[in-house]
Amino acid sequence: MVVLMRHSIRLLTLVVIIGVVMSEGTALPAGASAKAGQDARVIEIAAERFAFTPSEIRVKAGTPLEIRLQSDDTAHGFHIVGTDVDIELPKRGRGVATVNFQPQAGRYTFECSRICGAGHEFMRGVLIAE
Amino acid sequence: MLASSTVENYLKAIYAGAASLGNGQRLLPMGQLAAAVGVTPGTATTMVKTLAESGLVEYEPYAGVALTAAGQKLAALVLRRHRLIELFLVRVMGYSWDEVHDEAELLEHVVTDRLIERIDEMLGRPETDPHGDPIPNAEGLVKAQDAQTLLSCPLETTVTVTRVIDQDKEFLRFIEHHHLKPGEAIAVEARDAAADSVRVRGKNDQRITIGTRAASKLLVQVVQMLLLCILALPAFAQDAPTTQARREAPRTNLSGYMDFHFNNEEFTDARLDFHRFVLLVTHSFSPRIRFVGELELEHAFVEGLEEGGELELEQAYVDFLLDRSFNVRAGMMLMPIGIINERHEPPVYYGVERPFIDTVIIPTTWFEVGAGVHGEVGRGWRYRAYIVAPLNAAEFNADIGIRDGRQKGSESNVSRPAVTGRIEYVGFRGLTLGASGWSGRSGFEFRPRFDVPVSLAEADARYSRRGFEFRGQFAQVWIDNAGQLNDTLALRVGVNPNIGSALRGFSLEGSRRFFSGSRLGEVGGFARYENFDTQYRMPAGYVPLQEFDRDAWVVGANYWPDPDVAVKVDYSIVGNQSSVIRSPNSFNVGLGWWF
Repeated sequence: MVVLMRHSIRLLTLVVIIGVVMSEGTALPAGASAKAGQDARVIEIAAERFAFTPSEIRVKAGTPLEIRLQSDDTAHGFHIVGTDVDIELPKRGRGVATVNFQPQAGRYTFECSRICGAGHEFMRGVLIAE
Repeated sequence: MLASSTVENYLKAIYAGAASLGNGQRLLPMGQLAAAVGVTPGTATTMVKTLAESGLVEYEPYAGVALTAAGQKLAALVLRRHRLIELFLVRVMGYSWDEVHDEAELLEHVVTDRLIERIDEMLGRPETDPHGDPIPNAEGLVKAQDAQTLLSCPLETTVTVTRVIDQDKEFLRFIEHHHLKPGEAIAVEARDAAADSVRVRGKNDQRITIGTRAASKLLVQVVQMLLLCILALPAFAQDAPTTQARREAPRTNLSGYMDFHFNNEEFTDARLDFHRFVLLVTHSFSPRIRFVGELELEHAFVEGLEEGGELELEQAYVDFLLDRSFNVRAGMMLMPIGIINERHEPPVYYGVERPFIDTVIIPTTWFEVGAGVHGEVGRGWRYRAYIVAPLNAAEFNADIGIRDGRQKGSESNVSRPAVTGRIEYVGFRGLTLGASGWSGRSGFEFRPRFDVPVSLAEADARYSRRGFEFRGQFAQVWIDNAGQLNDTLALRVGVNPNIGSALRGFSLEGSRRFFSGSRLGEVGGFARYENFDTQYRMPAGYVPLQEFDRDAWVVGANYWPDPDVAVKVDYSIVGNQSSVIRSPNSFNVGLGWWF
């Protein structure tokens, strides 16, 4: 038991140290890279097995959004849960998928809706309209 | 009821309107139908009620209207007549394509089925009309068209115009004037979102810039060319999605990946091996409850007690998606360790075989039964933590470490469950930083029982941008009581397995992918250095064998005719510290794909 605890502590210590090291100097994610558009705010999202980047986007409620999605590998899906937004992203090098969305105040979970590999279920993010 | 021209026009309008409905919307609003037919909503409602009594439509007051199967067929047959007449007028009568619509609108209601059949036969049973619209067959069935708009097709790729979905005369003349009619080969050079424009290169390299509205009305297909290599076909035949198309995700999906290898290793004969045939099945019971299953056949053939092949259930879990930051998973799961174990689709990594560190230090594919939680806590940080069945120390050995100790969910002994977890940062595009751990007691099989605590710690980094990729990984395993473990196994099998008390490995890899976005696919080269020692530390009284202190240089290239298909070649130079025993070098060629 003592040996197991020693190993657990060793493991936890390593995990915590690496976590702290990684968090230091880590800038906040850019959130959405936004550009001033004529009508809509442009949000650019990169998709790669098994993450969207950024995976956390904050916008002002009611702002019309033009969400542009580009894959760095295979075809992915982009579905905003609870809405009709569900589009497929072309594979790497085959273009950008665009969808318009005007969020009301609230949190919207978005997820990959096209099976993209063993870790597909991890591919989620959140759009926060405040 | 004999369909009158009015009835047919209503059915056509409902048919066309239904095609524009959003995801999950079945009924066409009455106002939309009235506008399409050019009458007041009250008139449309009166007519729709009559159609409903005839069994041609379903009508729901205050909701809308939809075609029944009979109505659907009748509408499709009207379209068949309309489109065949249009084609006849253009091909046989010499009409231009912008003046046939009005004629066809009149004639579609009066021609007999016999005449239409003769026209169809005379024209060679065409599939599309002059505008590229599909012609339904005599049963009212329409062949699905696989097309994209100029807003979504790949840039700088030759495409063929297949359909113009606006039949306004002026628009059709504009299209004809600029050589954008169906059948023309063109390429989209650029899209300017700020200016709402698309620049197209057409006949004789002439350029024209059109608005996005016009671009959305031109459907195209990627040109499929004869290739020098049949493997390159998927680069052209892939189904790129239509931007902004809404769709309903199927509840059950089948996908998978395959790995086919040629291995020519020193000291042994060359082999052809269908290494992996993996099918991934997923099912959504609801948006929050999902099943994922992965069944893998290794080395193509499995027979009773056959050591060569394996049929493995690598994943079979149910995810309960409760919240972005907290979700529950139970079943057969991949251990959240390292880069490869959870991200092992062949097109995503270089090298025919997986890295050595991901074979002899981290025993990929490492899967086990258990339950746990996972989620993303914000700003790109996410975690996994599982309780799982432990490794079985009775199967450890000096050569490949803990690999054979995986119980693989086959009546796994869980008298002393293990814990595993990973924290990961994915908040910056192209960058993944991870740290993983595993800890459990693995001596459950011995009588009298004694503990063999095993721990694994791992850290990894991966950064990819503009074709460059860097990967680094470090992993170490500690096996306590390794001395007693060796002594016990020596008594059991007659040979001391010489298992180390610590195993350690690291790898560094740099790669560069070229020609990204090229029509002929992409090529990438890589070099990887690995250092791995399964006897990094030995228990008291044991001396490490130098042959297990190994390193390797692996260099090679990948060719992707499609981002989901990889042709791989590499050469592995493997060394060790022994002056007597040599580690074999190998030349490998592979073909892997994901679908």
